[in-house]
Amino acid sequence: MKNTLVLYFQREWQLMFRNTSSMIQPLVFFIIIALLFPFSLPAEGALLQKIGGGVIWVSAVLATMLSLESMFHSDYQDGTLEQMLIHPRSLPLAMLGKALAHWTSTGLVLTAFSPILCITFNIPNEQIWVLFSGLMLGTPSLSLIGAIGAALTVTLRRGGVLIAIVILPLYIPILIFGAGMLSQSAQGLEVASQLYALAAILMLSLTLTPFAIAGALRVTIN
Amino acid sequence: MPNSLAPNSKQISAAQLSAIKLCCQRGDNQLFDSVSFDVSAGQCLHVTGPNGCGKTSLLRILCGLNQPESGKVLWQGDEISGNNTFFANCAYIAHKEGLKNELTAIENLRYYQQLDSRRDEVVLDRLLAKMGLLQCADLLAQNLSFGQRRRLSFARLLIAEFPLWILDEPFTGIDSSGRALIESLCVAHLENGGGIIMTHHQSLNDSPLNRYRSELALAKA
Amino acid sequence: MNPLKSIWNFLSSTYHRLGSPREFYTISQYTTPVFGFLFLALSLFGTYFGLFVAPADYQQGDSFRILFVHVPVAWMSLFVYVVMATAGAIGLIWRMKMAFVVTICSAPIGAAFTALALLTGSIWGKPIWGTYWVWDARLTSELILLFLYFGIMAVYYAFEERKTAEKATALLAVVGVVIVPIIHYSVEWWSSLHQGPTVFVEGGPKMPPEMLLPLAFMAVGFMFFYGYALFLSMQAKVLDNERKSRWVKEIVSDKTR
Repeated sequence: MKNTLVLYFQREWQLMFRNTSSMIQPLVFFIIIALLFPFSLPAEGALLQKIGGGVIWVSAVLATMLSLESMFHSDYQDGTLEQMLIHPRSLPLAMLGKALAHWTSTGLVLTAFSPILCITFNIPNEQIWVLFSGLMLGTPSLSLIGAIGAALTVTLRRGGVLIAIVILPLYIPILIFGAGMLSQSAQGLEVASQLYALAAILMLSLTLTPFAIAGALRVTIN
Repeated sequence: MPNSLAPNSKQISAAQLSAIKLCCQRGDNQLFDSVSFDVSAGQCLHVTGPNGCGKTSLLRILCGLNQPESGKVLWQGDEISGNNTFFANCAYIAHKEGLKNELTAIENLRYYQQLDSRRDEVVLDRLLAKMGLLQCADLLAQNLSFGQRRRLSFARLLIAEFPLWILDEPFTGIDSSGRALIESLCVAHLENGGGIIMTHHQSLNDSPLNRYRSELALAKA
Repeated sequence: MNPLKSIWNFLSSTYHRLGSPREFYTISQYTTPVFGFLFLALSLFGTYFGLFVAPADYQQGDSFRILFVHVPVAWMSLFVYVVMATAGAIGLIWRMKMAFVVTICSAPIGAAFTALALLTGSIWGKPIWGTYWVWDARLTSELILLFLYFGIMAVYYAFEERKTAEKATALLAVVGVVIVPIIHYSVEWWSSLHQGPTVFVEGGPKMPPEMLLPLAFMAVGFMFFYGYALFLSMQAKVLDNERKSRWVKEIVSDKTR
């Protein structure tokens, strides 16, 4: 018997490849937001270099959040989510597979693309690695925690704004540690402790959020 | 007949569902109160009543999607909430067919086959042929007609053995040959020791299911 | 009979009685005015002591006296959150109707305490730091807490079906309580300009008793205020939730007669 997590992850990937725009949209959104900042700020290379990391992090958070609304939407509309709710297979495990698949289509893609954005912000090479590793550890938690908000609002007609209100405050620790790493390393300080903090948050998210997502779905779908 | 598809279907465990004093509220409205019944092997419970009397709500409670306001549902003596034996034995076909538009007909079935994974694998091509969908096997579900989608969602019932079928308006939007097909599947299921709970707004007097039928009439709230 | 056992029996029977909306309504008719009275008495006493008896601070002069409001409401803002989340967990696990009512009714009160803590904090900040707002750890945590409260209230009002709304709200409150400490420590790490803790520190409070006494009175007073406000709003909520039941109709017809 195929593992529920693997089965769900593969299914999500199959669906994403049939509908590639869902993969490209968050990335385009991410780049556009990040590129809005230079236009709205004084054109100084030093300033952009200083805020670049924070800008990229905020853009990643917003791009992830934008893609959350559709996370459960089609599954809810076509009834496959309800079938999963009354299936003997573990719902938390299935939801973990789904959230991880969501990460590979948003967070992972954004992270892979972030070095190019760093270059446009004149961020030095050694800091690009800091940002990259921070995003790599932080964005999976964004998908996992965000999925709770997506599950809570799946039955609502206009859930988008509500997801933002509910989820953004919960993203703050990840943002603080992720963006904080950059300013630390810009001063030549160690960033290991923030990496550990992001890793700890990721471990907590991996273990706890699947149950919260499953619980939220059982609560809202009736 | 399902037998030809699933060799083990003779060992189907007997359907035995009991509803005890179910009460359902939606908002402030009481939809129904103190609904009790039993469904056992070879029995088809036909839930009738006017629109808005809570037929779909009742079915959703019976399959474990909704919680009743009070009362309980027992499967072979055990409560159904969190009861994986029940979930493995019950199939629910709703208005929402549970099909992914981006997948082809056969891929949709394969997903359910993997999800339900029983040892005796049903040959999906034969299943599609039986449902009259062989020519659409590789069409995306979004390109199927409404009736074809209904047939496809019913094919799911035959992938694994589900002693209890819960069907919400199974004959809606389906042509007469499709209806005859579904009725024959239901009769075979009942003969095999399965149980069915269905809603249908018309009389089943002329249907082959009439022989197995007992009626539960819900009154307008 | 074992006295401990009889206390336990009393507590458990009270708990079960409070679990029924009707019993709660009856009991709260008596307890609510008591809470209100205790709040008034304690806070009047605390205010008098705080304003006239406690000595002025050797550094901050009289402006420190806002502490007697600021510190208790800041404590309450967290306390209410914990109560709200605990009640939410009880509601979700034991399917207790009244626990959800506690969660729903606590949210606006907690938000008000949080807003008050922010307001008094920034008023205090002006003479001390020279600015109304600094991005300091505790102020920022408090601001995030305010948004968590807003999110919880927003979720409740987004659903039309009340039972769904109650459970969704409770679930979010429980999720929030796991994340609140993480938020707190992350913000702490991020920046700290705020003065260190002075009351709950090792080796007892670093505060003279003339200051500690009114602070304690105010803190307990605000606790009773929470009880008072919570019970009042729960009474209204219970009547609204149970408006179709006979006992509520009787109460309404008695009152309108």
